[in-house]
Amino acid sequence: MNTTLATLAVLDGISYAALVFLVSVGLSLIFGVLRVVNVAHGSLYAFGAYLAATLSLAVAPISPWLTYPALIVASIAIGVICGGFIERFLLRPLYGRDDVLQLLITFAAFMIMDNLQRLIWGVQPIFAAEPLKLLPNISVFGVAYTSYQVILLPLVALLTLLGLRYFLRRTLAGAVILAVTEDREASTAIGIDAKKVYFVTFVIGASFAALGGALASPTTSLVPGMGADMIVLSFAVAATAGLGQIEGTALTALMIGLTRAFIIYIQPEFEVLVPYLLMVLVLLVRPFGLFGAVQVRKI
Amino acid sequence: MTPMLSFENINVAIAGAPVLRNVSFALQPGASAALIGRNGAGKTTTVRTIMGFTEASGTVRLGGEDLGPIPPHRRPSLGLGYAPEDRRLFSAFTVEENILLPGRVAKLSPDESKRRLDRAYSVLPELKELAKRPAGSVSGGQGKMVALGRALMLGTRLLILDEPFQGLAPVLAQRYAEALRRLRSQDKDITLLITESNPKLLETFADVTLTIERGEIESRASH
Repeated sequence: MNTTLATLAVLDGISYAALVFLVSVGLSLIFGVLRVVNVAHGSLYAFGAYLAATLSLAVAPISPWLTYPALIVASIAIGVICGGFIERFLLRPLYGRDDVLQLLITFAAFMIMDNLQRLIWGVQPIFAAEPLKLLPNISVFGVAYTSYQVILLPLVALLTLLGLRYFLRRTLAGAVILAVTEDREASTAIGIDAKKVYFVTFVIGASFAALGGALASPTTSLVPGMGADMIVLSFAVAATAGLGQIEGTALTALMIGLTRAFIIYIQPEFEVLVPYLLMVLVLLVRPFGLFGAVQVRKI
Repeated sequence: MTPMLSFENINVAIAGAPVLRNVSFALQPGASAALIGRNGAGKTTTVRTIMGFTEASGTVRLGGEDLGPIPPHRRPSLGLGYAPEDRRLFSAFTVEENILLPGRVAKLSPDESKRRLDRAYSVLPELKELAKRPAGSVSGGQGKMVALGRALMLGTRLLILDEPFQGLAPVLAQRYAEALRRLRSQDKDITLLITESNPKLLETFADVTLTIERGEIESRASH
């Protein structure tokens, strides 16, 4: 592998890792607090992408720069509306009951949303690359790359990681989430509304999935099935890191993103295999993931 | 006088099995009550019912107010402090952060928070030395003290301590009892409800002893 290909692989890996981190961290946050493996997370990613593309195409004729706020608006709208609906009406009645019910109900939500997506946006590919085209290309060791993918996406991922750390460690809302994560009943006994915490956490996690989709939308054609690919990959990242481990999710996303990118250039037929192979190897040796441990604090 | 706490015909069943049967009693403001019973008699279910953690029929009142329509998370702000049997501290925080958290959640003013923290430290001076320690690193006995300090932040009217002496070494049990006496001497109005399986541990402290057996109040004695 020559220097050019290696540089390309690193840039591809960083850019991809940023998107995967955003989706995985939402999944991990939801699991850490609610103990729910949200299978519908992939649909939230896809809905975020489709709504962002729709809004971008609508506002671009007014001003191309409006496509950036459109990405944010789409993420929050999907997080609040779809995420809020799933938590309030599908998951809340099931808390305290068999965990498998939560898995089944989020799987059902995933299937319903997948069909809804085809109903709303059809099956033809949608492409809305305005936000990508607005930023200039940059040259890294002689390799030209879009600054949207190599600067903006990693920057958003980094800010998300730092912002989430600050939010959880330094704010009252974060302290309340940590308390509920550790002991729901003891939290209630000191006046915390655990139901509200679950709702807010789910909406935040869902918004991260939608943000991942929204930021990915300018870089790829949106096609049915994109949510399924992402939920499987983000689950692999979150599980490899250890469910509920936020900083670990960032490092694992980077590790899997880079490995996948290099494999694409070296042995492309193994592209799909590698993340899951890593997950299986890690889980066989460390069942709680690379950064997880029994009885450690989640999130 | 309106009782600070009253149980009126409370029944609780867990998985179809009756745990509390027609429990009725009342505690006047300022009472130091011991709820005595063997393991499984219904002590913890009684205090969890006050906190709203059980599905109960009947009426529980705090200072005459029916707690039934009040969701569990709103009850602490009525002046209810609860130290559960197994401490249940938040290991993500330090000891002092654990004590302060209920006040932050209740949006107490900084002055009021400070006043209540000082009150907790005056009742439990040993907590000052532990203040910056991670709560997950304190011993079981120290944890009981921290749980009491945390309960004191909002427990201005009724303080519920579930089996506080269970598992404590004799020296720590003595210190805990001293803390309760300090609290009682500093605050004559607060009502205390302490559950215990060993009747001897609270006989010199309690002025009311309720004995519970198989989910029923068998006797009530005032001293």
